[in-house]
Amino acid sequence: MTFGAIRRSVSTGVLSYRHQPCRRTFSARAIRDFDVIIVGGGPVGLALASGLGSYRMVRESLKVALVEAGDLSRTRDWTLPPDSYSNRVSSITNSSRVFLEDIGVWELVDKSCTCPVKEMQVWDGLSDARITFDAVNLPSSGVSNAAESSEMARLTENLNLQRALLRHLESIRSIELLQKTRVESIQREDRDGGHGWPLVHLSDGTTLRARLLVGADGFNSPVRAYAGIHSYGWSYDVRAVVATLNHSPRGAFQGPNHTAYQRFLPTGPIAFLPLSPTVSSLVWSTKPALAEALCRADPSVLAHMVNAAFRLPEVSVRYLHNLILDAHSRGTSISGEDICNEIAFREKSHNIPGYSAYSSVSSMLSPGVPSNDAMAVPPLVTSTQSGTIASFPLKFNHAESYLGEGANNRTVLVGDAAHTIHPLAGQGLNLGLGDVRSLVQCIVRSVAHGGDIGSYTSLRPYAAERYFTNHKVMSAVDKLHKLYSSTWDPVVWARSIGLEVVNELDSVKAALMMDAGAGNLERPQWDLLADGIKGVSSGLSTAKMLGQGIGVVFNTGINEIARRLGQH
Amino acid sequence: MFTTGVRRVSRLTQRTRFIQTDATTSTVNTAEIAHFSRLSSQWWDESGEFALLHRMNPVRVQYIREKLTEIAREEKGEDVGREIEQRRGAFRGMSMLDVGCGGGLLSESLARLGARTLGIDASESNIRIASLHADADPFLSSPSSTGGSLQYRNTSAEHLLKEPERFDVVCSMEVIEHVDNPAVFLATCAELVKPGGHLFLSTIARTPLAFLLTIAAAEYIMRKVAIGTHTYSKFVNPSELVSFFQTYSSPSMTSAQPWITRTYDGGQPTRKEAEVRGLIYNPWSGDWVLMSRSASQWGAAECNYLFWVRRPLAG
Repeated sequence: MTFGAIRRSVSTGVLSYRHQPCRRTFSARAIRDFDVIIVGGGPVGLALASGLGSYRMVRESLKVALVEAGDLSRTRDWTLPPDSYSNRVSSITNSSRVFLEDIGVWELVDKSCTCPVKEMQVWDGLSDARITFDAVNLPSSGVSNAAESSEMARLTENLNLQRALLRHLESIRSIELLQKTRVESIQREDRDGGHGWPLVHLSDGTTLRARLLVGADGFNSPVRAYAGIHSYGWSYDVRAVVATLNHSPRGAFQGPNHTAYQRFLPTGPIAFLPLSPTVSSLVWSTKPALAEALCRADPSVLAHMVNAAFRLPEVSVRYLHNLILDAHSRGTSISGEDICNEIAFREKSHNIPGYSAYSSVSSMLSPGVPSNDAMAVPPLVTSTQSGTIASFPLKFNHAESYLGEGANNRTVLVGDAAHTIHPLAGQGLNLGLGDVRSLVQCIVRSVAHGGDIGSYTSLRPYAAERYFTNHKVMSAVDKLHKLYSSTWDPVVWARSIGLEVVNELDSVKAALMMDAGAGNLERPQWDLLADGIKGVSSGLSTAKMLGQGIGVVFNTGINEIARRLGQH
Repeated sequence: MFTTGVRRVSRLTQRTRFIQTDATTSTVNTAEIAHFSRLSSQWWDESGEFALLHRMNPVRVQYIREKLTEIAREEKGEDVGREIEQRRGAFRGMSMLDVGCGGGLLSESLARLGARTLGIDASESNIRIASLHADADPFLSSPSSTGGSLQYRNTSAEHLLKEPERFDVVCSMEVIEHVDNPAVFLATCAELVKPGGHLFLSTIARTPLAFLLTIAAAEYIMRKVAIGTHTYSKFVNPSELVSFFQTYSSPSMTSAQPWITRTYDGGQPTRKEAEVRGLIYNPWSGDWVLMSRSASQWGAAECNYLFWVRRPLAG
């Protein structure tokens, strides 16, 4: 086939090969050539298209297509009445925001629907050891605007970001959006010398040929399967329940609703993320059975349970969970009123005074002078917004490589197709945007040097830059999850020490904050975070040293901790 | 392996290799051609025999691009320079010749950046592999809007010289250390450059360090490069290239001036006439790094280096 394109010029007596448009021998339908085909129109895939489109050199020289099965025009025109929020919310770190500003997308995000996080309160569900993070402790974040640099992160609905990305893409004509189109199959073009490129067959019958095929197609990535990239990981025995919560505004003597709260219950962390003075978002990771029961129960039950989960001692939270689980397994359900009474009873038995912020009746009664622990817990939830309660399974998953191996594979993975992470640190989307920034730079550099952007040589710097960085974040978050899911006393005790030790060290604290949102453009924060995790485990080694003094029995217990933690 | 090693070591004592013009017209070494023909199927295996070359390629193109932009900026002004930096097709409107193109690593990049590119190689199988590979790329196999085009021919520089066409840029990367008669080869490449055009070369200096890295380590110890790829005595020092162009002037011109008219202390040419830049491989990151002008003067060009020289408008 290829030799058909070769001419011998006899006159000069030397062999001469001249390139001509190849006659392709594939089925009658024409194949369209693209330099970049992005599979998946989620925030990461759209950000990649936007990022590429923001460079003049790329706009002029690369043909880019994005394939998405869903209806993108609905996302572009998405709108909600004021004070209504969708349930999938991400905390955009400062470094992610700087990237979005650079490519011209951040200005298209509806800022009135985003909310800055200026403080975080994280505490252990069992020992109540608590850390408070304040944006003041942050290392400089590279954000030019002084007001914005005092933020740790910006909570943004995923749809708000996606809409901004789609509006940005509208202005870039060289990028083709193929929406409501599924990828039917991907195969390698058959060519002499193994130089075939990936062929993407679409549900509308067309076939695209990719110089570079990008998998932004999520956890079950078909592109990853085509590239033959294995991934390793596990499902946590946990589901995340999400919902949009309504609550009363903070009183005049309290701070604004700029504080994110997270309590590490043994069943998983529950997080309260502010969206507006009266609306916040819930991400509650818990056992699958309870998640199901909560989603099926009356919406008022979830509201009461959220209040209780942030306030009551763990023993009572567990009791309430069992109550709901029992009712669910019997096929009946508990009314919101019953739960409310049960909570009131348990508050009394725990001697929680009515004026304390920990009481579920107090804040509603007295809008005047707040109690001194008022900012220790989130505002009381009054209701959930209709249709926002949902749940999804949680996984840990990391591809063994981000680039397809073997000659001429021409595939690369970004975002969830490459890595899936526990949401407790709110890093999933930020890792994806970090991938995008790195890949865009890599492609731009290759274009500037006349490289073949699909080649392994061109893409190698992307994998080298991202793989280990992502891996460190993922393992740190995974270890945090495992450390805090234990109810086993020595572990609880050790981690309470760990947390209080951490609380003393401002630098480690600043590093831990990276975990939940803030971020510098540079890398060292995660190294610091890794040290923070080590800080927790050095709490363990202190415990171990003490244990050796106390006696053999205790010592074996501590060794058990070390062994169990070592397994994770 | 050991005996060849010893033989090569004994040649370390041979300190200078004068580049002299002599009557022989062919510079093509048949043994070298056979060696690369054997390896030709490997050209596009990016993790195989030529992995190091694949990684070196972006740096070579980066250098060509930077140098041409620098000269354009100097002669045509800042605005033109900036435009070339940002637009696609930095080499638009230029004709370029890649002598000893091999599998076409450099030729493809030049064509993508908009140059009308001709790649030539004395090995027929190299040309076949290069053509086959470029055919798979629709950008290279069909006329492109950047004006770039790519053509391969199985011929030698000497044959090409008999034809009338001359080029804005002539590149010959990692070739001169494989030819038989480097002076004739240099003169041939030089003659193929249009007046005011550019000649880019890359090769390896003849130093003990280069012997250790490119032959002992790369070929025998790490086995990253096929044994027998390099011959120490054929390596060329930067100072030899500089002194060649200090005396060289084009025979086709009547009032010819040499390409390099003056040098600074230490034999450095002026920035507008010629340049030597070291290329250093970092085995930890697996990347090649282009050294600065000043570093190249102080030993960074002891091993791999790039050489650029400009043909004077009247010379």
